[in-house]
Amino acid sequence: MILRIDLQSSIPVYRQIVDGLRILLVNGEMKAGDQLPPVRRLALDLGVHFNTVAEAYRTLEREGWLEIGRRSGARVVSRAVPEYADPETGETFQRRLRELAAEMQARGFPRDRIARELRCLAESLERS
Amino acid sequence: MSGEMILFVAFLLLIGGLSHIVPGLTRPDLFFAVTVAPEFRRTTGGQRILRRFRAIVWSSTLVAIAIQLLAGMPLAAGLILGGGFLWALVSSHGRALAYAVSPSPILEVDLAAPREGLPGGPMVAALPVLFLGGLGLWAGLHWDRLPRRFPVHWGLHGADRWVATTPATVAGFLALFAGMCLLSIGVAWGLLHWSRRISTSGEGAAAERGFRRRIVQLLIVTEYFLVLPAWFTVFQPSAAAVNVWGLALTAVIAAFTVSLLRGGQGGSRATVAAGPSGRPAPKGDRTPDACWKWGLLYVNPADPSILIEKRFGVGYTLNFGNRWTWVMLALVLVPVAAGLVLLR
Repeated sequence: MILRIDLQSSIPVYRQIVDGLRILLVNGEMKAGDQLPPVRRLALDLGVHFNTVAEAYRTLEREGWLEIGRRSGARVVSRAVPEYADPETGETFQRRLRELAAEMQARGFPRDRIARELRCLAESLERS
Repeated sequence: MSGEMILFVAFLLLIGGLSHIVPGLTRPDLFFAVTVAPEFRRTTGGQRILRRFRAIVWSSTLVAIAIQLLAGMPLAAGLILGGGFLWALVSSHGRALAYAVSPSPILEVDLAAPREGLPGGPMVAALPVLFLGGLGLWAGLHWDRLPRRFPVHWGLHGADRWVATTPATVAGFLALFAGMCLLSIGVAWGLLHWSRRISTSGEGAAAERGFRRRIVQLLIVTEYFLVLPAWFTVFQPSAAAVNVWGLALTAVIAAFTVSLLRGGQGGSRATVAAGPSGRPAPKGDRTPDACWKWGLLYVNPADPSILIEKRFGVGYTLNFGNRWTWVMLALVLVPVAAGLVLLR
Protein backbone atom coordinates (compact mmCIF):
# COMPACT_ATOMS: atom_id res chain seq x y z
CA MET A 1 0.00 0.00 0.00
CA ILE A 2 1.99 2.92 -1.28
CA LEU A 3 0.97 6.54 -0.79
CA ARG A 4 2.57 8.74 -3.45
CA ILE A 5 2.97 12.53 -3.12
CA ASP A 6 4.22 14.96 -5.78
CA LEU A 7 5.97 17.94 -4.17
CA GLN A 8 5.91 19.90 -7.43
CA SER A 9 2.19 19.51 -7.90
CA SER A 10 -0.02 22.58 -7.56
CA ILE A 11 -2.34 20.47 -5.40
CA PRO A 12 -1.62 21.01 -1.67
CA VAL A 13 0.11 18.09 0.06
CA TYR A 14 -2.74 17.57 2.53
CA ARG A 15 -5.16 17.25 -0.43
CA GLN A 16 -2.85 14.74 -2.11
CA ILE A 17 -2.76 12.67 1.10
CA VAL A 18 -6.58 12.72 1.28
CA ASP A 19 -6.92 11.79 -2.41
CA GLY A 20 -4.27 9.05 -2.20
CA LEU A 21 -5.80 7.47 0.89
CA ARG A 22 -9.32 7.73 -0.54
CA ILE A 23 -8.25 5.75 -3.62
CA LEU A 24 -6.91 2.98 -1.35
CA LEU A 25 -10.13 3.05 0.70
CA VAL A 26 -12.50 3.05 -2.27
CA ASN A 27 -10.57 0.25 -3.98
CA GLY A 28 -10.76 -1.83 -0.83
CA GLU A 29 -6.97 -1.98 -0.40
CA MET A 30 -7.56 -0.58 3.08
CA LYS A 31 -10.37 -2.26 4.94
CA ALA A 32 -12.34 -1.60 8.11
CA GLY A 33 -10.13 -2.26 11.12
CA ASP A 34 -6.87 -1.40 9.33
CA GLN A 35 -4.62 0.97 11.23
CA LEU A 36 -3.09 3.98 9.50
CA PRO A 37 0.45 5.08 10.39
CA PRO A 38 0.55 7.56 13.29
CA VAL A 39 0.43 11.22 12.23
CA ARG A 40 4.03 11.74 13.36
CA ARG A 41 5.34 8.71 11.44
CA LEU A 42 3.67 9.70 8.16
CA ALA A 43 4.71 13.36 8.54
CA LEU A 44 8.33 12.35 9.16
CA ASP A 45 8.41 10.01 6.18
CA LEU A 46 6.90 12.63 3.89
CA GLY A 47 8.94 15.46 5.40
CA VAL A 48 5.85 17.61 5.99
CA HIS A 49 4.44 19.30 9.09
CA PHE A 50 2.43 17.15 11.52
CA ASN A 51 -0.60 19.43 11.01
CA THR A 52 -0.63 18.62 7.28
CA VAL A 53 -1.15 14.92 7.97
CA ALA A 54 -3.49 15.56 10.91
CA GLU A 55 -5.69 17.75 8.70
CA ALA A 56 -5.79 15.03 6.01
CA TYR A 57 -6.85 12.42 8.59
CA ARG A 58 -9.51 14.77 9.99
CA THR A 59 -10.93 15.32 6.47
CA LEU A 60 -11.26 11.55 5.99
CA GLU A 61 -12.79 11.26 9.44
CA ARG A 62 -15.45 13.83 8.45
CA GLU A 63 -16.13 11.78 5.31
CA GLY A 64 -16.75 8.76 7.55
CA TRP A 65 -13.72 6.69 6.50
CA LEU A 66 -11.67 6.95 9.68
CA GLU A 67 -12.05 6.94 13.41
CA ILE A 68 -9.39 8.91 15.25
CA GLY A 69 -8.62 8.11 18.87
CA ARG A 70 -6.20 9.97 21.09
CA ARG A 71 -4.33 6.77 21.99
CA SER A 72 -5.39 4.32 19.30
CA GLY A 73 -4.53 6.60 16.34
CA ALA A 74 -6.37 6.55 13.00
CA ARG A 75 -8.32 3.40 12.14
CA VAL A 76 -10.41 2.58 9.09
CA VAL A 77 -14.10 2.06 9.88
CA SER A 78 -16.87 0.51 7.80
CA ARG A 79 -18.71 3.23 5.98
CA ALA A 80 -22.20 3.15 4.58
CA VAL A 81 -22.35 4.28 0.95
CA PRO A 82 -24.17 7.62 0.92
CA GLU A 83 -27.30 8.23 -1.13
CA TYR A 84 -26.77 9.25 -4.75
CA ALA A 85 -25.83 12.92 -4.82
CA ASP A 86 -28.17 15.59 -6.13
CA PRO A 87 -27.93 16.53 -9.86
CA GLU A 88 -25.96 19.67 -9.10
CA THR A 89 -23.19 17.71 -7.35
CA GLY A 90 -23.24 15.19 -10.20
CA GLU A 91 -22.62 18.02 -12.67
CA THR A 92 -19.75 19.31 -10.54
CA PHE A 93 -17.99 15.93 -10.66
CA GLN A 94 -18.67 15.62 -14.38
CA ARG A 95 -17.07 19.03 -14.93
CA ARG A 96 -14.06 18.04 -12.80
CA LEU A 97 -13.54 14.91 -14.89
CA ARG A 98 -13.61 16.97 -18.10
CA GLU A 99 -11.25 19.54 -16.58
CA LEU A 100 -8.85 16.77 -15.64
CA ALA A 101 -8.92 15.31 -19.15
CA ALA A 102 -8.35 18.79 -20.60
CA GLU A 103 -5.40 19.37 -18.25
CA MET A 104 -3.86 16.05 -19.27
CA GLN A 105 -4.24 17.03 -22.93
CA ALA A 106 -2.76 20.47 -22.27
CA ARG A 107 0.26 18.83 -20.60
CA GLY A 108 0.93 16.76 -23.71
CA PHE A 109 -0.75 13.45 -22.93
CA PRO A 110 -1.89 11.90 -26.25
CA ARG A 111 -5.68 11.70 -26.68
CA ASP A 112 -5.62 7.94 -27.17
CA ARG A 113 -3.73 7.49 -23.89
CA ILE A 114 -6.26 9.64 -22.00
CA ALA A 115 -9.07 7.61 -23.56
CA ARG A 116 -7.30 4.39 -22.59
CA GLU A 117 -6.91 5.56 -18.98
CA LEU A 118 -10.58 6.50 -18.80
CA ARG A 119 -11.60 3.14 -20.29
CA CYS A 120 -9.43 1.32 -17.72
CA LEU A 121 -11.04 3.33 -14.95
CA ALA A 122 -14.54 2.63 -16.29
CA GLU A 123 -13.80 -1.10 -16.57
CA SER A 124 -12.43 -1.33 -13.01
CA LEU A 125 -15.52 0.57 -11.74
CA GLU A 126 -17.84 -1.83 -13.55
CA ARG A 127 -15.93 -4.83 -12.20
CA SER A 128 -16.18 -3.59 -8.61
CA MET B 1 59.62 3.03 19.03
CA SER B 2 57.30 2.54 22.03
CA GLY B 3 54.16 0.40 21.93
CA GLU B 4 52.00 3.49 22.43
CA MET B 5 53.69 5.24 19.50
CA ILE B 6 53.06 2.22 17.22
CA LEU B 7 49.42 2.08 18.32
CA PHE B 8 48.91 5.77 17.64
CA VAL B 9 50.50 5.55 14.18
CA ALA B 10 48.31 2.51 13.43
CA PHE B 11 45.30 4.56 14.56
CA LEU B 12 46.26 7.43 12.22
CA LEU B 13 46.62 4.95 9.33
CA LEU B 14 43.23 3.42 10.17
CA ILE B 15 41.57 6.86 10.09
CA GLY B 16 43.31 7.61 6.77
CA GLY B 17 42.11 4.28 5.34
CA LEU B 18 38.53 4.84 6.51
CA SER B 19 38.57 8.36 5.02
CA HIS B 20 39.75 6.81 1.74
CA ILE B 21 36.77 4.45 1.47
CA VAL B 22 34.05 6.61 3.03
CA PRO B 23 32.95 8.43 -0.21
CA GLY B 24 31.96 5.02 -1.63
CA LEU B 25 29.71 4.20 1.32
CA THR B 26 27.07 6.88 0.74
CA ARG B 27 23.81 6.33 -1.11
CA PRO B 28 24.42 6.07 -4.88
CA ASP B 29 22.50 9.33 -5.55
CA LEU B 30 24.74 11.31 -3.21
CA PHE B 31 28.31 12.36 -3.87
CA PHE B 32 30.13 14.43 -1.26
CA ALA B 33 26.75 15.32 0.25
CA VAL B 34 25.34 16.59 -3.06
CA THR B 35 22.42 15.00 -4.96
CA VAL B 36 23.81 13.79 -8.29
CA ALA B 37 22.87 11.31 -11.00
CA PRO B 38 23.81 7.78 -9.78
CA GLU B 39 26.28 7.32 -12.64
CA PHE B 40 28.07 10.62 -11.92
CA ARG B 41 30.66 9.11 -9.58
CA ARG B 42 31.99 7.02 -12.50
CA THR B 43 32.39 10.01 -14.87
CA THR B 44 35.66 11.94 -15.38
CA GLY B 45 34.35 14.85 -13.28
CA GLY B 46 33.38 12.56 -10.40
CA GLN B 47 36.66 10.64 -10.51
CA ARG B 48 38.66 13.90 -10.50
CA ILE B 49 36.89 15.13 -7.34
CA LEU B 50 37.41 11.74 -5.68
CA ARG B 51 41.15 11.62 -6.55
CA ARG B 52 41.68 15.12 -5.18
CA PHE B 53 39.84 14.24 -1.94
CA ARG B 54 41.98 11.15 -1.42
CA ALA B 55 45.20 13.01 -2.23
CA ILE B 56 44.45 15.60 0.50
CA VAL B 57 43.43 12.90 2.99
CA TRP B 58 46.61 10.84 2.49
CA SER B 59 48.88 13.91 2.45
CA SER B 60 47.49 15.04 5.81
CA THR B 61 47.74 11.47 7.17
CA LEU B 62 51.42 11.24 6.21
CA VAL B 63 52.18 14.70 7.66
CA ALA B 64 50.39 13.68 10.89
CA ILE B 65 52.43 10.46 11.12
CA ALA B 66 55.68 12.37 10.49
CA ILE B 67 54.86 14.86 13.26
CA GLN B 68 54.08 12.04 15.66
CA LEU B 69 57.24 10.11 14.81
CA LEU B 70 59.63 13.06 14.70
CA ALA B 71 58.22 15.38 17.37
CA GLY B 72 55.99 13.05 19.43
CA MET B 73 53.06 15.52 19.36
CA PRO B 74 49.85 13.42 19.23
CA LEU B 75 47.52 16.41 19.62
CA ALA B 76 49.12 18.27 16.70
CA ALA B 77 49.08 15.08 14.62
CA GLY B 78 45.38 14.53 15.34
CA LEU B 79 44.54 18.15 14.53
CA ILE B 80 46.39 17.99 11.21
CA LEU B 81 44.65 14.74 10.24
CA GLY B 82 41.20 16.09 11.25
CA GLY B 83 41.82 19.45 9.61
CA GLY B 84 43.01 17.80 6.40
CA PHE B 85 39.92 15.58 6.30
CA LEU B 86 37.59 18.55 6.84
CA TRP B 87 39.34 20.59 4.17
CA ALA B 88 39.16 17.67 1.71
CA LEU B 89 35.46 17.13 2.44
CA VAL B 90 34.34 20.76 2.34
CA SER B 91 36.28 21.55 -0.85
CA SER B 92 35.03 18.35 -2.56
CA HIS B 93 31.48 19.25 -1.53
CA GLY B 94 31.92 22.67 -3.11
CA ARG B 95 33.19 21.12 -6.36
CA ALA B 96 30.43 18.50 -6.46
CA LEU B 97 27.76 21.23 -6.15
CA ALA B 98 28.50 22.18 -9.78
CA TYR B 99 27.08 18.79 -10.80
CA ALA B 100 24.00 18.85 -8.54
CA VAL B 101 20.70 17.69 -10.03
CA SER B 102 17.17 18.12 -8.72
CA PRO B 103 15.93 15.11 -6.79
CA SER B 104 12.67 13.47 -7.76
CA PRO B 105 9.69 15.45 -6.40
CA ILE B 106 7.78 12.19 -5.91
CA LEU B 107 7.67 10.86 -2.36
CA GLU B 108 6.38 7.40 -1.57
CA VAL B 109 5.41 5.92 1.78
CA ASP B 110 4.49 2.32 2.43
CA LEU B 111 1.46 2.52 4.71
CA ALA B 112 1.81 -1.16 5.64
CA ALA B 113 5.50 -0.96 6.65
CA PRO B 114 6.22 -3.10 9.72
CA ARG B 115 6.50 -1.22 12.98
CA GLU B 116 9.94 -1.13 14.54
CA GLY B 117 10.75 -1.20 18.23
CA LEU B 118 13.64 -1.47 20.67
CA PRO B 119 15.16 -4.99 20.57
CA GLY B 120 13.77 -6.93 23.52
CA GLY B 121 11.41 -4.09 24.43
CA PRO B 122 11.85 -0.93 26.50
CA MET B 123 12.71 -2.90 29.66
CA VAL B 124 15.89 -4.31 28.08
CA ALA B 125 16.99 -0.76 27.26
CA ALA B 126 16.04 0.58 30.72
CA LEU B 127 17.76 -2.20 32.70
CA PRO B 128 21.30 -0.69 32.73
CA VAL B 129 19.95 2.64 34.05
CA LEU B 130 18.00 0.78 36.74
CA PHE B 131 21.17 -1.18 37.55
CA LEU B 132 23.09 2.08 38.06
CA GLY B 133 20.31 3.33 40.35
CA GLY B 134 20.51 0.06 42.32
CA LEU B 135 24.29 0.37 42.51
CA GLY B 136 23.93 3.90 43.92
CA LEU B 137 21.47 2.60 46.51
CA TRP B 138 23.79 -0.28 47.46
CA ALA B 139 26.73 2.14 47.78
CA GLY B 140 24.65 4.38 50.08
CA LEU B 141 23.70 1.45 52.31
CA HIS B 142 27.22 -0.05 52.45
CA TRP B 143 29.33 3.09 52.49
CA ASP B 144 31.93 1.53 54.82
CA ARG B 145 32.64 -1.22 52.28
CA LEU B 146 33.61 1.21 49.53
CA PRO B 147 37.33 1.88 48.87
CA ARG B 148 38.75 5.25 50.02
CA ARG B 149 39.39 6.27 46.42
CA PHE B 150 38.19 4.93 43.08
CA PRO B 151 39.39 5.14 39.46
CA VAL B 152 37.65 7.42 36.98
CA HIS B 153 39.89 6.90 33.97
CA TRP B 154 41.65 3.92 32.49
CA GLY B 155 44.57 3.94 30.04
CA LEU B 156 46.57 1.23 28.31
CA HIS B 157 48.22 0.30 31.60
CA GLY B 158 45.09 0.26 33.76
CA ALA B 159 43.58 2.98 35.98
CA ASP B 160 45.48 6.26 35.68
CA ARG B 161 43.20 8.78 37.42
CA TRP B 162 41.59 8.46 40.85
CA VAL B 163 39.26 10.53 43.02
CA ALA B 164 38.46 10.35 46.74
CA THR B 165 35.25 8.47 47.60
CA THR B 166 32.70 11.06 48.69
CA PRO B 167 28.91 11.19 48.17
CA ALA B 168 29.43 13.83 45.46
CA THR B 169 32.06 11.88 43.48
CA VAL B 170 30.08 8.60 43.65
CA ALA B 171 26.87 10.37 42.61
CA GLY B 172 28.74 12.20 39.84
CA PHE B 173 30.33 8.99 38.57
CA LEU B 174 27.00 7.16 38.45
CA ALA B 175 25.22 10.19 36.90
CA LEU B 176 27.88 10.33 34.18
CA PHE B 177 27.25 6.72 33.17
CA ALA B 178 23.48 7.08 33.57
CA GLY B 179 23.66 10.09 31.24
CA MET B 180 25.59 8.10 28.64
CA CYS B 181 23.09 5.23 28.91
CA LEU B 182 20.22 7.71 28.47
CA LEU B 183 22.02 9.13 25.45
CA SER B 184 22.17 5.62 23.92
CA ILE B 185 18.48 5.01 24.64
CA GLY B 186 17.55 8.46 23.32
CA VAL B 187 19.43 7.94 20.05
CA ALA B 188 17.98 4.42 19.62
CA TRP B 189 14.46 5.72 20.28
CA GLY B 190 15.04 8.68 17.97
CA LEU B 191 16.22 6.42 15.13
CA LEU B 192 13.09 4.32 15.43
CA HIS B 193 10.55 7.08 15.97
CA TRP B 194 12.02 10.45 14.95
CA SER B 195 13.90 9.69 11.73
CA ARG B 196 12.69 9.44 8.15
CA ARG B 197 12.53 6.25 6.13
CA ILE B 198 14.13 6.88 2.74
CA SER B 199 13.41 3.60 0.96
CA THR B 200 9.78 2.63 1.41
CA SER B 201 9.34 -0.61 -0.45
CA GLY B 202 11.09 -3.74 -1.67
CA GLU B 203 14.70 -4.71 -1.05
CA GLY B 204 15.79 -1.14 -0.32
CA ALA B 205 13.31 -0.80 2.55
CA ALA B 206 14.33 -4.18 4.01
CA ALA B 207 18.03 -3.27 3.79
CA GLU B 208 17.34 0.09 5.45
CA ARG B 209 15.38 -1.58 8.26
CA GLY B 210 18.30 -4.00 8.79
CA PHE B 211 20.74 -1.09 8.90
CA ARG B 212 18.65 0.72 11.49
CA ARG B 213 18.22 -2.45 13.55
CA ARG B 214 22.01 -3.00 13.66
CA ILE B 215 22.64 0.56 14.87
CA VAL B 216 19.95 0.24 17.55
CA GLN B 217 21.43 -3.10 18.68
CA LEU B 218 24.89 -1.50 18.86
CA LEU B 219 23.51 1.31 21.04
CA ILE B 220 21.80 -1.09 23.44
CA VAL B 221 24.87 -3.39 23.67
CA THR B 222 27.09 -0.34 24.31
CA GLU B 223 24.74 0.68 27.10
CA TYR B 224 25.32 -2.66 28.83
CA PHE B 225 29.07 -2.23 28.45
CA LEU B 226 28.80 1.23 30.00
CA VAL B 227 27.46 -0.01 33.31
CA LEU B 228 30.49 -2.23 33.89
CA PRO B 229 32.97 0.58 34.78
CA ALA B 230 30.52 1.68 37.50
CA TRP B 231 30.40 -1.90 38.79
CA PHE B 232 34.22 -2.11 38.62
CA THR B 233 34.45 1.03 40.74
CA VAL B 234 32.39 -0.42 43.54
CA PHE B 235 33.79 -3.95 43.51
CA GLN B 236 37.39 -3.20 42.45
CA PRO B 237 38.05 -6.06 40.01
CA SER B 238 41.52 -7.09 38.84
CA ALA B 239 43.31 -5.20 36.07
CA ALA B 240 42.86 -8.25 33.85
CA ALA B 241 39.04 -7.98 34.12
CA VAL B 242 39.21 -4.32 33.09
CA ASN B 243 41.42 -5.24 30.11
CA VAL B 244 39.01 -8.00 29.06
CA TRP B 245 36.17 -5.49 29.27
CA GLY B 246 38.12 -3.01 27.09
CA LEU B 247 38.98 -5.66 24.50
CA ALA B 248 35.43 -7.02 24.40
CA LEU B 249 33.97 -3.51 23.94
CA THR B 250 36.47 -2.80 21.14
CA ALA B 251 35.66 -6.12 19.45
CA VAL B 252 31.89 -5.52 19.62
CA ILE B 253 32.17 -1.98 18.23
CA ALA B 254 34.57 -3.18 15.49
CA ALA B 255 32.20 -6.03 14.49
CA PHE B 256 29.21 -3.72 14.25
CA THR B 257 31.27 -1.09 12.38
CA VAL B 258 32.45 -3.63 9.77
CA SER B 259 28.89 -4.87 9.35
CA LEU B 260 27.58 -1.31 8.86
CA LEU B 261 30.37 -0.36 6.47
CA ARG B 262 29.73 -3.47 4.35
CA GLY B 263 26.08 -2.46 3.97
CA GLY B 264 26.89 1.20 3.27
CA GLN B 265 24.74 4.14 4.30
CA GLY B 266 21.17 3.00 4.96
CA GLY B 267 22.11 -0.48 3.70
CA SER B 268 22.10 1.04 0.19
CA ARG B 269 25.21 -0.82 -1.05
CA ALA B 270 23.32 -4.09 -0.81
CA THR B 271 20.74 -2.94 -3.33
CA VAL B 272 22.78 -0.80 -5.73
CA ALA B 273 23.35 -3.60 -8.20
CA ALA B 274 19.69 -4.60 -8.17
CA GLY B 275 18.40 -1.02 -8.47
CA PRO B 276 16.48 0.11 -11.54
CA SER B 277 18.60 1.77 -14.20
CA GLY B 278 17.74 4.86 -16.21
CA ARG B 279 15.66 6.47 -13.50
CA PRO B 280 14.21 9.85 -14.51
CA ALA B 281 15.54 11.64 -11.41
CA PRO B 282 17.62 10.54 -8.43
CA LYS B 283 15.85 10.13 -5.13
CA GLY B 284 18.80 11.17 -2.95
CA ASP B 285 17.97 11.08 0.73
CA ARG B 286 14.85 13.24 0.50
CA THR B 287 16.45 16.26 2.12
CA PRO B 288 17.16 19.50 0.21
CA ASP B 289 20.81 20.12 -0.77
CA ALA B 290 20.47 23.73 0.38
CA CYS B 291 19.88 22.64 3.99
CA TRP B 292 23.28 20.89 4.26
CA LYS B 293 25.95 23.31 5.49
CA TRP B 294 29.36 22.28 4.06
CA GLY B 295 27.82 18.86 3.50
CA LEU B 296 28.06 18.13 7.23
CA LEU B 297 25.40 19.97 9.23
CA TYR B 298 21.70 19.60 8.47
CA VAL B 299 19.66 22.69 9.36
CA ASN B 300 16.04 22.56 8.22
CA PRO B 301 13.37 24.11 10.48
CA ALA B 302 10.62 22.87 8.12
CA ASP B 303 11.63 19.21 8.58
CA PRO B 304 10.02 17.51 11.60
CA SER B 305 12.81 14.87 11.76
CA ILE B 306 15.24 15.10 14.67
CA LEU B 307 17.67 12.44 13.41
CA ILE B 308 18.56 12.24 9.75
CA GLU B 309 20.87 10.03 7.70
CA LYS B 310 24.31 11.55 7.25
CA ARG B 311 25.12 12.48 3.69
CA PHE B 312 28.79 11.70 4.13
CA GLY B 313 29.78 8.64 6.10
CA VAL B 314 27.61 5.99 7.68
CA GLY B 315 25.09 6.69 10.43
CA TYR B 316 22.88 9.54 11.51
CA THR B 317 23.20 13.20 12.40
CA LEU B 318 20.89 15.78 13.99
CA ASN B 319 18.57 18.27 12.35
CA PHE B 320 19.90 21.39 14.05
CA GLY B 321 17.04 23.45 12.62
CA ASN B 322 14.47 21.58 14.73
CA ARG B 323 14.00 23.18 18.16
CA TRP B 324 13.18 19.77 19.68
CA THR B 325 16.70 18.62 18.77
CA TRP B 326 18.10 21.21 21.19
CA VAL B 327 15.59 20.24 23.89
CA MET B 328 16.55 16.55 23.56
CA LEU B 329 20.27 17.40 23.56
CA ALA B 330 19.87 19.43 26.75
CA LEU B 331 17.88 16.64 28.45
CA VAL B 332 20.54 14.06 27.66
CA LEU B 333 23.64 16.18 28.24
CA VAL B 334 22.60 17.70 31.60
CA PRO B 335 23.25 14.47 33.61
CA VAL B 336 26.58 13.97 31.79
CA ALA B 337 27.65 17.56 32.52
CA ALA B 338 26.46 17.27 36.15
CA GLY B 339 28.48 14.05 36.54
CA LEU B 340 31.63 15.69 35.16
CA VAL B 341 31.22 18.71 37.46
CA LEU B 342 30.76 16.49 40.55
CA LEU B 343 33.83 14.45 39.64
CA ARG B 344 36.15 17.49 39.44
